[in-house]
Amino acid sequence: MLVVSSIGLCDDLHALKPAVFLGSSIKDTTINLTNDYRYLKTGYYVSLHAEILGNQVIPSCENIIDASRTPILLLRASKAKIPTVPFLVTDNVKKIITEVGLPVVVFAVNPFIHEGYKVAKNQSALYRAMKSLGMNYKFAVCAEPLRGELHSVKSVFGKTELADEQISALSQKVYELFRIPLCKLHVQKAEDKAFLCGLEPLKETELSKADLKLISKEIMLISQQGNHIGV
Amino acid sequence: MSRIACFVEKYNFSDPREEAALQNFKQTAEKSGSQFSFLFRENIEDIPNYDAVFIRATTDPLFTSYIVSKTAWELGKKVIDDPESIKICANKIHQYALFEKHGVPRIPTVFLSKDDLHHKKITEIFSTLGKPVVIKAPYTSFSRYVEKAACETSFREVAKRFFKKSDVLAIQKFTPTAFDWRVGVLGNDILYVCKYMIPKGKWKHGAKLRGKPTVIWGRTVSIQKKDMPPRLREVALKACGVIGKGLYGVDIKEVYGEYVVVEVNDNPSIYAGYEDSMDQDIYQRIINYLSA
Ligand SMILES: Nc1ncnc2c1ncn2[C@@H]1O[C@H](COP(=O)(O)OP(=O)(O)O)[C@@H](O)[C@H]1O
Ligand SMILES: [Mg+2]
Repeated sequence: MLVVSSIGLCDDLHALKPAVFLGSSIKDTTINLTNDYRYLKTGYYVSLHAEILGNQVIPSCENIIDASRTPILLLRASKAKIPTVPFLVTDNVKKIITEVGLPVVVFAVNPFIHEGYKVAKNQSALYRAMKSLGMNYKFAVCAEPLRGELHSVKSVFGKTELADEQISALSQKVYELFRIPLCKLHVQKAEDKAFLCGLEPLKETELSKADLKLISKEIMLISQQGNHIGV
Repeated sequence: MSRIACFVEKYNFSDPREEAALQNFKQTAEKSGSQFSFLFRENIEDIPNYDAVFIRATTDPLFTSYIVSKTAWELGKKVIDDPESIKICANKIHQYALFEKHGVPRIPTVFLSKDDLHHKKITEIFSTLGKPVVIKAPYTSFSRYVEKAACETSFREVAKRFFKKSDVLAIQKFTPTAFDWRVGVLGNDILYVCKYMIPKGKWKHGAKLRGKPTVIWGRTVSIQKKDMPPRLREVALKACGVIGKGLYGVDIKEVYGEYVVVEVNDNPSIYAGYEDSMDQDIYQRIINYLSA
């Protein structure tokens, strides 16, 4: 099994740097580790290179793209029976108010903004949110009703450090579907249930020593279990 | 009866020739007993109400059109352009790597990673590909991010600009020709054949820049399918075959009697009086594909 990582991991994992892997043609099951899997960034090209070589790889290019587009993330998650909130993709403020209602969580759906969301509790806040996330109303946004409390959690191979059972179970399911080893999940908790709202890249600084340890542990586990990466 | 949604953005109606082509699609569909509605960005929640989606807005994994495509696909609709084709065609690195893997004849190409932009590598590239080279940002369309570089300084300048959005670029041997063949392909079959003439004194087909005043763009010369060189046909179908079974426009250069693929486009331009001028049946064939 091949580990390609842009993150400093402990030496006994023998991880390759992305640049080394991109210049090679190593055929092996590949785990692509980076905090940032954005489309067109090095992490994307690592998965692409692995796919072209015919390697099994996590994450796949398809999942990298889909997980970062909130409407597709939620559509695919709900098809896989992962609890999600309803959503509306639109650039129309009135439509959000009548069809989604307030308060509302708004995610960007454009090529430029790839992190964060805004919560709007009233109409003028919604206008402001649409103005910034829609880049002056030029792009559509993804609007979701806010029904409970919002949580943002780090997911490392589907594991979260949060002790909340529902959120842990949700994060495991999202990992099983999209196989994004490292990411941040946005989750709503309402009526004691957890609902998926969004997913975004982690900043490198957000990875703690404990996270790095967990990464090593998970990789060891995968290799002990016969390199089964679930693709 | 099939309900077809045609996903468009406002700019699809800014050129009368494109608008006429869109109306041709609509009339053809309606004559065949299908419904054909233009679907704009504000109504994409209506996708479940259709049987097929035909995307005419520019495609890219980062654009709304991808969300439309993938949503339709996940809901089991017929869709042109399908999400897989968008993913491959929108990225030159992806498609060139597939061409290499499957032996599709193409222009000599090397990939350059952001970390490799240094003197030794640039010298090596110039000695492999000669001078000038053509630098392409993977996401380019309408010739926008395709530029020449003949020395290290201009190479660095162009590469730095293109690296802002993509961490890998494609570098090619400069291969100028008087025209690009443009072969329309649908479901592994030839739809139409044209020559996109390169404007005099230029080396790029200056493209139809949608929504902008027309920049210089070369003439389109339409060719009868039966007059298509057999080898051209073979190369065009092979290139599309490694991508998918959808609708494509393949750009091919003829160099010393060899045919080399420049790129495969999903979402190929269709303008009334241009791509359709020898093959009026392209509208019907695309509608049939969508309503089958
Ligand atoms: N290696 C090359 N040498 C010479 N001309 C090229 C080369 N690659 C592309 N071109 C020309 O540049 C234009 C745009 O290239 P292309 O790869 O199709 O990018 P785009 O996706 O932006 O259309 C076309 O007219 C093509 O003929
Ligand atoms: Mg082109």
